Amino acid sequence: MQSILAVDDSASMRQMVAFTLKGAGYNVIEAADGQEALEKARAQHVDLVLTDQNMPRMDGITLVKQLRTMHNFAGTPMLILTTESSDEMKAKGRAAGATGWLVKPFDPAKLLDVIKRVIR
Amino acid sequence: MHDSDAQDAATVQRAALECEAIAADLERLKTLIADAGDRLMTSFNVVGTLVPRPAHSEEEQRRLAGAIATAVTALQFQDMANQLTSHAQGRLTILQETLGRFCDDVDPLLATTRLQPVAQAGMGAGSIDLF
Repeated sequence: MQSILAVDDSASMRQMVAFTLKGAGYNVIEAADGQEALEKARAQHVDLVLTDQNMPRMDGITLVKQLRTMHNFAGTPMLILTTESSDEMKAKGRAAGATGWLVKPFDPAKLLDVIKRVIR
Repeated sequence: MHDSDAQDAATVQRAALECEAIAADLERLKTLIADAGDRLMTSFNVVGTLVPRPAHSEEEQRRLAGAIATAVTALQFQDMANQLTSHAQGRLTILQETLGRFCDDVDPLLATTRLQPVAQAGMGAGSIDLF
């Protein structure tokens, strides 16, 4: 079973993401911010990272940057799921090494389709 | 103090009080939304867990899947509403601080005697009073 690290400071968002991903057969590891995600990513195997941008302690772009420096995350798909929709922020995400940028709210079928396309 | 200065001070004082009232309303709205979101989420999870999928026809399954997908999208309102209200609160704080530089004393009675259209801070059933 493939594992997805879902990162969001909103408990309701994490719940909706987890509900969607678990229903499609993925194992979901949850984290409430970038720092917690980083700690969990160091401890277990992750096939894809789905992260919010604006979070306390560590934001999504910083998390992506940090993970990209880790050898085992060099090729891991990383998607940013956020309310931020400006081209400037998207460019920052891309420069940090994100695989994609999804604007909230997400549609379950579309989210699963994107994940299926990028996960290895 | 000139009459116009006194009028300006009164206007600023009123604006500051409006900010205070709006900030309080936003805080209450945030609490209501959070509570509604939690309750909806709990109910949603129960429905999602208990619905016996194999017992439904293909058409029913398709409709059920569509309804659940729509609910998953809609239930994300809590996060978005929370961000918006927090943003509005931040702007109000700046406005209050700015106005505060023009007037030191704000009559607290003006703020407390205002009508409050929604006083509850939860989405549970309200109380019933029989007379």
